[in-house]
Amino acid sequence: MAATKSRARDSGQRGARGQMLSRVDKWRSYRQHHQATLKSSTLKILGEPLQSLLTILVIAIALTLPAALYLSVENIRQLSGGVDASAQISVFVKKGARESALESLTTKLEGLSGVASVTYISAQDARDEFESLSGFGAALQYLDENPLPDSFLVQPLLVGDASRLVTEIRELKLVDDVQLDLEWLQRLDALLDMGRKLVLALGAALGLGVILVVGNTIRLAIQSRRDEITVVKMVGGTDAYVRRPFLYSGLLFGMFGALVAGILLTGLGFWLAGPVDKLALLYQSQFSISGLGFSGFVTLLLIGGSVGLIGAWLAVGQHLRNIQPR
Amino acid sequence: MSMIRFDNLCKRYESGYEALRGVSFEMDAGEMAFLTGHSGAGKSTLLKLLMLIERPTSGNLLINGKNINRLPHSKVPFYRRQVGVVFQNHQLLFDRSVFENVALPLQVTGYSQADIGRRVRAALDTVGLLDREKHNPIALSGGEQQRVGIARAVVHKPKILLADEPTGNLDPQLSAEIMALFKRFQDVGVTVLVASHDINLINRMDMRIMRLNQGQMEQDGVSYGGY
Repeated sequence: MAATKSRARDSGQRGARGQMLSRVDKWRSYRQHHQATLKSSTLKILGEPLQSLLTILVIAIALTLPAALYLSVENIRQLSGGVDASAQISVFVKKGARESALESLTTKLEGLSGVASVTYISAQDARDEFESLSGFGAALQYLDENPLPDSFLVQPLLVGDASRLVTEIRELKLVDDVQLDLEWLQRLDALLDMGRKLVLALGAALGLGVILVVGNTIRLAIQSRRDEITVVKMVGGTDAYVRRPFLYSGLLFGMFGALVAGILLTGLGFWLAGPVDKLALLYQSQFSISGLGFSGFVTLLLIGGSVGLIGAWLAVGQHLRNIQPR
Repeated sequence: MSMIRFDNLCKRYESGYEALRGVSFEMDAGEMAFLTGHSGAGKSTLLKLLMLIERPTSGNLLINGKNINRLPHSKVPFYRRQVGVVFQNHQLLFDRSVFENVALPLQVTGYSQADIGRRVRAALDTVGLLDREKHNPIALSGGEQQRVGIARAVVHKPKILLADEPTGNLDPQLSAEIMALFKRFQDVGVTVLVASHDINLINRMDMRIMRLNQGQMEQDGVSYGGY
């Protein structure tokens, strides 16, 4: 018994030493297998162009939809960012306020937190502006006194602060009325919020779709290579070795799909750029559409690749275990 | 030390079927033996246990002095690299050349391309098919296909060579050639176990014969009276 043990240990040590000697070789061949697998997986995808194209297009469409929605939301947000500047609060002062009271009100308004600037518009200035802009100047001539009050224009630092500032300003003495023509902007903000959530939901749903599509494609690939898997396992291929080509296929399908989606989105951007510029010109806006961009393209590729990899991983995990040599 | 040692081994399938019932035997390194018996006697199960396709229900299975009963799943591939297997139906892949078929065991182990080329050609030379390396195995005859299968089983120089009905579909002449090949591997120190019910062929070779009957070792020795 003792003899058996010591001999077993001997052979174990020999085995370990043998492995150490060839570790560099093993690493090199591991890398070579990765390269060879990447190459053969690419060739397999290209070798069945029609079938692969269908899979890639489905993935591309599933990626294009949420990405396009995302870009729309981002563009609208950029557009509304330009509107922030006009988010002014009009503060109307009670009639007959004294000069000194107005001055102290100015100080108070300027002292509120979140205020960017305060502009005083006297009743006279307001009347002059009204006369020149409205075309009712002649009618004003018939009035005994100026119906317009003194007012302030308060510019908040952030649109989000506007509502709070309105409440605070209402509390101040001498203030007759406060108007904030911001509701539509807040509604837009809420809509954009919803849009962003929609992007997430749509992205998650279609991402799941991509996982299923890739998973199914890989499942079929596994079925069609059943014999090969059996033999490879029989001659001592590890699970990782068997998995590798399928994981590469999933990765490549995802990335090819993302590539096509990226091309579609870039094309869409160019297609819309003309009309959007024309529209912006009509509104005297500097706005121009911003497309996917390089980093967006890279992100899309990463997302596509990882979703494809996940799909392949799930399919491989589920189906490879069932294939054992008989 | 024995290379293969079955120690009171039992295998009961989930269906309740008892394929092996207390089988014990030993084979030394470099020994060759035939495993015979009627179909259903347990030959295939015995080979599957040796390939770790199946696990024993009870008893011990020692390979090279090491108990492999509880070898973890992740270690199984490395165990299989010490074993070469020849199947009755060859299990060759028809989507690649003879060369690539034989190269598989080396590829999974991670040999360099140059090593693979050298070893594959040596193995093909041994089975006399060096001129067919670029052919698709589907274009070869049954006997040639079986020899490709043998080349694949020995290309990585395994310690143990298992064969399951390797001459099942071959005529006597080809069968004898295949057996002669196995004998050559035994001569260089490989432990060879051949499952076969080809009694005529077995009787012509002067070899140890183990005969299974209903999951039990009925006979073990070189004498084979009663056939």
